[in-house]
Amino acid sequence: MNKYRLYRLLVEQQELKDKRHPMLEKNRFMKILMWFMVLYYAAILLLMGAMLPMGFSGMYPGVAAFHVMDGFLPWLLLVDFWTRFGLQETPAQQVRQYSILPVRRSFLMNIYLLRTAFSSGNLFWGFMLVPFGAICVLPLLGWGGFLLWLLGWWLLCVADGLCYLFCRALCMKSFLWVLLPLAVHGGIVALMLVPDKNPLDMPCTVMMYEFAKGNLLYIIGAAALIALFYWANYALQMRMVYNEVAKKEEVELKSATQMNYLNRWGTLGEYLKMEIKLRMRNSQVRMQFFVGIGFILFFSVIQYFSDVYSGAFMSSFVCMYDYMVLGMMTLITIMCYEGNYIDGLMARRESIYALLRAKYYFNTAVLIFPFLIVLPLIIAGRSSLWMNLGYLFLTAGVMYPMIFQMAVYNNNTLPLNQKLTGKQGNTMQQIVSMVVLFLPILLEKLLVLVLGDVWGYVALIALGTLGIATHKVWLRNIYTRFMARRYVNMDGFRTSRNS
Amino acid sequence: MKIIIENLKKTFGEKVAVDIERYEIKDGEMLGLVGNNGAGKSTLFRLMLDLIKADSGRVLMQPSPEEMADGLAKSDVDVSTTEDWKDWTGAFVDESFLIDYLTPDEYFQFLGRISGRKQEDVDAFLQEFGHFMAGEVAGQKKLIRNLSAGNKQKVGIVGAMLLQPKVLILDEPFNFLDPSSQNAIKHLLQDYNRKTGATILVSSHNLQHTVDICPRIALLEHGVIIRDIENANGEATAELENYFEL
Repeated sequence: MNKYRLYRLLVEQQELKDKRHPMLEKNRFMKILMWFMVLYYAAILLLMGAMLPMGFSGMYPGVAAFHVMDGFLPWLLLVDFWTRFGLQETPAQQVRQYSILPVRRSFLMNIYLLRTAFSSGNLFWGFMLVPFGAICVLPLLGWGGFLLWLLGWWLLCVADGLCYLFCRALCMKSFLWVLLPLAVHGGIVALMLVPDKNPLDMPCTVMMYEFAKGNLLYIIGAAALIALFYWANYALQMRMVYNEVAKKEEVELKSATQMNYLNRWGTLGEYLKMEIKLRMRNSQVRMQFFVGIGFILFFSVIQYFSDVYSGAFMSSFVCMYDYMVLGMMTLITIMCYEGNYIDGLMARRESIYALLRAKYYFNTAVLIFPFLIVLPLIIAGRSSLWMNLGYLFLTAGVMYPMIFQMAVYNNNTLPLNQKLTGKQGNTMQQIVSMVVLFLPILLEKLLVLVLGDVWGYVALIALGTLGIATHKVWLRNIYTRFMARRYVNMDGFRTSRNS
Repeated sequence: MKIIIENLKKTFGEKVAVDIERYEIKDGEMLGLVGNNGAGKSTLFRLMLDLIKADSGRVLMQPSPEEMADGLAKSDVDVSTTEDWKDWTGAFVDESFLIDYLTPDEYFQFLGRISGRKQEDVDAFLQEFGHFMAGEVAGQKKLIRNLSAGNKQKVGIVGAMLLQPKVLILDEPFNFLDPSSQNAIKHLLQDYNRKTGATILVSSHNLQHTVDICPRIALLEHGVIIRDIENANGEATAELENYFEL
């Protein structure tokens, strides 16, 4: 078989894999929603692309709008990098299944790397940049300048994608590698926010202008950057494929934590141990937690050093998000990881009830992390203590009971140690995700409007306390409904287990 | 504990997976379940463990007078309507019974504690399985997911028996095991049955092992028990060999 036919075959198989994903096959709503979300974000970007030239001209008179946009390059690349975490796979595991077939592994790796690097996803920012450039680059620099300016942006997005891929692969080896992009990006954000004048502004503006002028040095420089990331990815991913095939991984635990202090809780203590070990020993679950903490740190740093989120709505939103993000990341998919061993759990009396209680206690205890992270903001007077306490209690006592309802409806097993793509999820997960993002804000705004600042938050605390105090009642209700749906759920878990 | 299957039917689309009008497994009996791939063995076990929904019919567990006197159960228990049977039933069907990010010791400790057993009892019980586990399971700092298929199988079987169940259900327990371990598990199951009077159900493609340990063998074909073979003295061999055309 010649290389082109082989390429087509592999691409077809990849497309079939995506198309036949069990969650998509079962869930027509999910398919529609995915397309809706793509269209929604495309529309938002289009709108931004059309509106920003006027906005920039008003805010920075005398400066070409595209220079202002170019100054935002680091921000855009940061957003681009972190949104990829939920959407993009690494090639190593895609290659593994073909590793003993008579196909050169290097050929396979190149195919998957090139497909990833030059995927249409890298063009998504074009929804904003094309109309923006058409309005304010085209008239000034002509078609050549416009196209070269877009080429510059695209090259940097491709490099960003490959940089993400490299970091993601490192994170698959050890979750601690997530600290690398967090530290680098944290440093970049600090550099842009702390000094009075952003020192990256001018270099970015100059670089993009040189792209637009067709300066070969810059274009070759960007291409060299892509080549460098490509080579680094190739070397790392090839080694990861070898590790996958050879099952070369650290199999000996350095220490098996006993957690004897939880023994006093009896059966519940055992489920708490299980919950903690679920988070500690499974890369995918661990990653969710650290990405969540990363988001909180990111927003807190911005809040500390800038006034970007100091408005009434945004400060509420960020505060709510700080407390909700961990629950949203880990509890929307509640029971999905347990799908891997659901039969064993179901063979024991009331084990799901004990598990739900353990999950509730664990996730409530974990809320101490966002509180500790935002504590400097509270001390510095940049975030209200009442608001933080209000959202903390609201999360534990009102929002968690809502998200825990997903335990009744979730029935797609998620892999404990492999990548997550954006394709998992069901209708309820999407709806609840949207509700938990907006309901707390509405509730807070309503209560603060009616009762005033302090009493509004006291009311939130009271509502939360009520939910916390009655947790056994609503958890029992969830358990009863879970058991009523158990056959449907177990079937779903089984079907999606090894897909 | 006696097990009664009544009008049990399960289909997947057009395919009949299980169709049993009535079948009784006596208290303390060791029953072997044999049949070709797709005969319905695993589906029957899953129905008995309430892991899938039957289209019709039910599985009852009927306690003996002694078990009723011990307060284990007051009357017949339909596995799909109550969780009482989970207190006295141990099972291992496949890897979905194993919490694979625990070490074997942690898994055994977890099972022991949630069943209300003391750690000393668990340790003493595990010692009886020392030969079977051959030093490669207990005491290891390996997660279950990093064990070989055979050692995972051992963890599942020991975990099921650790609960000292009145009903023990094992699907293909000889799979992945080396010959020594296959012999060891045969003896362990026979001893356990003799000592505790537990009702044991074992499915297997290994006819010799099944014939060796099970005084009664049910032969499944397309979900139907087509033969119920008495095997008190190993007389089932000829009939099974004839069926499977060995």
